[in-house]
Amino acid sequence: MESETALYVNYLPVLLGGVVGFILVFTALIGARLLAPFSEENQKSTTYECGMLPIRRASTNIGMRFYLYAILFIVFDVEVIFIFPWAMSFLNVGVFAYWLMVLFIGVLALSLGYAWKKGALQWR
Amino acid sequence: MTDIFGQTLNLNYVLLLPEIVLLIFSMLVIGIDAFKRQLNISGNVPVGLALAGLVVALTLSILQVNMDEDFARLIQVDSFTSFFRILFIAITLVLIVGSHEYIEKSVSHVGEFYGLLLLATVGAMLMASARELLTAYLAIELLSFSLYIAVSLARSDRRSGEASLKYVLLGGVASASLLYGLSMIYGVTGATQYHEISAVLSAGDTGLTTPLLLGLVLIIVGLGFKASAVPFHMWTPDAYEGAPIPVTAFLSATSKAATIALFLRWFGGPLLPIASDWQFILSGVAVATMVVGNLVALQQVNIKRLLAYSSIGQMGYMLMAIVAVGSGFGSDATSAVLVHLAGYIITNLLVFISVTHFFNQTGQEEITSFKGLAQSNPYLALMITAGLFSLAGMPLLVGFFTKFILFQAVVSAGHLGLVTVAVVASTVSLYYYLMVVRQMYLYEPEDGTEQWRLSLTGYVTTLALFVSLVVFGLWGTPLYAAADAAAAGMF
Amino acid sequence: MIPIEYFLTLGAILFGLGLFGVLSRRSAILILMAIELMLAGVSINFIAFASYLDTDAFSGLIFALFVITVAAAEVGLALGIVLRLFRERRTSNVDEASDMRW
Repeated sequence: MESETALYVNYLPVLLGGVVGFILVFTALIGARLLAPFSEENQKSTTYECGMLPIRRASTNIGMRFYLYAILFIVFDVEVIFIFPWAMSFLNVGVFAYWLMVLFIGVLALSLGYAWKKGALQWR
Repeated sequence: MTDIFGQTLNLNYVLLLPEIVLLIFSMLVIGIDAFKRQLNISGNVPVGLALAGLVVALTLSILQVNMDEDFARLIQVDSFTSFFRILFIAITLVLIVGSHEYIEKSVSHVGEFYGLLLLATVGAMLMASARELLTAYLAIELLSFSLYIAVSLARSDRRSGEASLKYVLLGGVASASLLYGLSMIYGVTGATQYHEISAVLSAGDTGLTTPLLLGLVLIIVGLGFKASAVPFHMWTPDAYEGAPIPVTAFLSATSKAATIALFLRWFGGPLLPIASDWQFILSGVAVATMVVGNLVALQQVNIKRLLAYSSIGQMGYMLMAIVAVGSGFGSDATSAVLVHLAGYIITNLLVFISVTHFFNQTGQEEITSFKGLAQSNPYLALMITAGLFSLAGMPLLVGFFTKFILFQAVVSAGHLGLVTVAVVASTVSLYYYLMVVRQMYLYEPEDGTEQWRLSLTGYVTTLALFVSLVVFGLWGTPLYAAADAAAAGMF
Repeated sequence: MIPIEYFLTLGAILFGLGLFGVLSRRSAILILMAIELMLAGVSINFIAFASYLDTDAFSGLIFALFVITVAAAEVGLALGIVLRLFRERRTSNVDEASDMRW
């Protein structure tokens, strides 16, 4: 029984965060809707209100080129998975683990350098 | 160094030196290739570096032959490991020496290609030496990922990308199901160390038969894919056909041998106590593999596809021996598998390197394009014939000797039915090997009888493989002794 | 505590959905997403087992971490290959990549 109440106590901050987040987002949205000037012109639905008239559809496929950036991003995104447990147990694991993490990040940096050298960051 | 439970960890990095050397050299090859314009180096540097790394790693592995020590309870360096380390490094070495002309001509991104081959070798070596599930899984993925890319590197060949896509998608599904199976094993036993799993499973009925059986089935699906066992073989012919020929050879040699090593480590170790549960599944898979592999090979017109189905058939024989490992004849059956593996690899490398040189000269890979090769290049025709006969198991060649040992081991484990299927299947296989031989010897060449020669390295590698083919066929004792020592390390 | 069966069922459902997706989809990208779903099921299995078996045994959790990492690497790699195929044939559908049969 006690563990079940503990479960709810743990859940409470999550619930609170969720509710507050919901309220914040919707106040912002509804507030903008109420306070901002709003006109019903056709121009409003174009891609750039003040720019040139669009020539083609606005919803084209995203260029395959973006995948390269996505892949490079994933490398450093996933890195966090290892850094987080390392940071949590840093005080217990000692200096050796520190240098291991430096090595790990160094290898990842090398990979980025390689991609850079190969021109993956160039927009061609 | 102790772990969080206060148990001492053996962090003797010397044990990992062959792997570390190969990793460093692969990074060097790839890095130097990226900067080749700034450094102004010749095109021979990547291949030279790769070969240097392989030779150093080979020397280090040979020096560690008599070790039996574990590294941080993750990797076991014993005679089994040493056998496979030497085997894998030798395969890559022979392949690079034997087909570097092809690689420079028909492979895009040469530097990365050599780096990937070294990485794949490291993955295969770790697969054979892991003593823990996570390490084994990461090793599988290191090998597979390197090969996914290597398959797609054939220059100006539309089939290459398609082959790689099929390989990577099906490979992803296979490793997902392998992982699901591993999670079941982990859930039932609570351990990832091989010896702990073995201890829990042999302690008696866990009362969790269903998850255990589910786990076994999924593991066999995952590993069966890597070993291209029927019915998980559909990627094999396509990947073989689309890949550059050295990668095809690598797939059929290292990748298969590493999978068999893992099969032996798992099914001869942690999963041995529940042998009765997986034996019948695996014998079904083995029979299907032998029958389908050899029958579908009959209708092939492309030499790479033919060899793909032939290697599927060969995998069937080895899976059959793994069934025998479960019957309490572990040591004998294991050394039989290792002998057959070594013989199969020598033979297959000979065939593939010969086909590579044939392709260098003619640019063709249909079986009918071998017409009259006995007149235009009698030496190469002899090499291919010897290799194909050895694959079929003709006496006096190594293929016969190893098959004899293998079938004998399976019979003495009491699986007469399986061996009957295997014998019939290998008789069938003789037919399609002879189809190629017939093209070479019984027909006139289509475009004149102009003689052509191999390169020097081509002669050296094919001759060395041919000599070992004949020598081990007549006198297989050294091969058997090595395999026996390796198997003794495991049991 | 929530019974472990709940987590295992969730894992199995994710795995099954992923498998269904792999078998029913034509686009290589969607197949990759389905494979991710299968791996998510596996991760849930490992984490559930790890926390229910023994609070001191980390191997399951570490396994899950590595599964996530390897899955990311696999997607990166496969996307590269899809990209290459797309450049060659202007399609990423697997059934249109069929130069080779049998």
